[in-house]
Amino acid sequence: MDVYVVGAGMTKFGKHPDRDAVDLAVEAVNEAIRDAGVDRRRIQAAYCGHVYGGMVLGQKVLARTGLAGIPLANVENACSSGATAIREGYLAIRAGEYDVVLAFGVEHLTTRFRGALTPGEEDLEGALGLTMPAVYAMRAVRHMTEFGTTREELAYVSVKNKRNASLNPYAQFQNPVTVEDVLNSRPIADPLRLLDCCPVSDGAAAVILASERVVGELGRSRAVRLAAASLRTGTVEVGLPSMAFEPLTRATAQDAYERAGVGPEDVDFAEVHDCFSIAEVLRVEGLGLYPVGEYPKRAARGEADIGGRLPINPSGGLLGKGHPLGATGVAQVVELVRQLRGEAGPRQIEGARVGLAHCRGGKAAGVEGAACTVLIATR
Amino acid sequence: MSETEVVSESYVPFRPGLLRFEGGRGVLVGGRCRGCGAVYFPAPEVCARCQGEDLDRVDLSGRGAVYTYTVVRQSTPEFRTPYVLVYVDFPEGVRVLGQLVGCEPEAVRVGMPVEVVFEEVAKDPQGRPVVGWRFQPAEEA
Repeated sequence: MDVYVVGAGMTKFGKHPDRDAVDLAVEAVNEAIRDAGVDRRRIQAAYCGHVYGGMVLGQKVLARTGLAGIPLANVENACSSGATAIREGYLAIRAGEYDVVLAFGVEHLTTRFRGALTPGEEDLEGALGLTMPAVYAMRAVRHMTEFGTTREELAYVSVKNKRNASLNPYAQFQNPVTVEDVLNSRPIADPLRLLDCCPVSDGAAAVILASERVVGELGRSRAVRLAAASLRTGTVEVGLPSMAFEPLTRATAQDAYERAGVGPEDVDFAEVHDCFSIAEVLRVEGLGLYPVGEYPKRAARGEADIGGRLPINPSGGLLGKGHPLGATGVAQVVELVRQLRGEAGPRQIEGARVGLAHCRGGKAAGVEGAACTVLIATR
Repeated sequence: MSETEVVSESYVPFRPGLLRFEGGRGVLVGGRCRGCGAVYFPAPEVCARCQGEDLDRVDLSGRGAVYTYTVVRQSTPEFRTPYVLVYVDFPEGVRVLGQLVGCEPEAVRVGMPVEVVFEEVAKDPQGRPVVGWRFQPAEEA
């Protein structure tokens, strides 16, 4: 039973001091419903991804959007929360339980956090002083040690994504930066600097998922098929594995490729979880989109630019568009939809037919990563 | 704080079961699966590799080598920056995170030999010292 994304909407990502999480989510949900052209009374269930939104955030959104009463589950999976919410809707439609489902994600992070996110103080490594930038800084040291990756090559990932963001009116960063800007920004966790790190963001994103039956009724011209929605959790690391490669990303991607019936060679563009410049490297190599160890050099040559061999994060990614945790995975699918429909404006990837979205979230002592999702959408 | 100073009834371990003191010396305590020999720190209840449920406690060596490192310049309010974090590979085949002390941040290198030291890392609510592990540079073996 095929599942389609028939509507997509999001708020501008950024700092929204005058609005709260519910307010942002209401805007995104209403935009997705209008985009789908579906009567909201036909929505049968909803899934809300958020991390720090507090109890029953999703229900507060339903109450303001004429949807109260339908089943809703609030979903928390760290940075993969939004993508996990979409997957829940995808599974419910595939199971034949519903025909029209709303999945949305939201975060008002500027009122929850300043500075570095951590694995949480109850976590052993968090209590030892581990921050998320530190995790990725230590992975960057290993990528540089094992593959000769340079500081400048890592900086180019940020340069590319902030340039893409400047073409996206929904992105937090609207101004391009240079490699020098990145290298001269404030040090956060050596060798990573401020512009190697995604910003603290507020925002919301929403999609409407529909069954084959409903899509036939609404019309297929703007529908995008969700060909896979895979989820894995990180395994406990045994021995001394390389920190310059991500088995969790690889395992999740293999599951998604198999289910979608496509391979990495078929992917036209990808939105990947670039919470840090080095993170994009590890994702892309883990997904098999570029050979292990080679992405930084190839990206610096322009292969991952819009118009390059295989564009990565045309939306601006987390580095450029922003990273309101729960909204991130849903916003990635919003970008997939806009690209696959040919509605991405100046950042349009010509002829895009297969798009991939990857999220990874959370850290727990002893495991490589907490939750990883790979979604594949096709036209 | 030296190792002998913390061997008093008044110290509180940073986490229960992860460190112990014997004859004035502290050691990190991990777990080894009886079935497949996999070593962990900390020890899980069930072996992640073979799902065996019998794990023995195992003392880790006092020395290891830096696998990777960072100098943390921005952190949460509980931590005074900058500080150096390292993942240390132990001969038992296990990797442990900790702060590196006794070394200029600029001097840290991948592969650098380090030894485990035990220090007061905080005070508990009763004002007793909470003792945890840190690493410091060691002589080449």
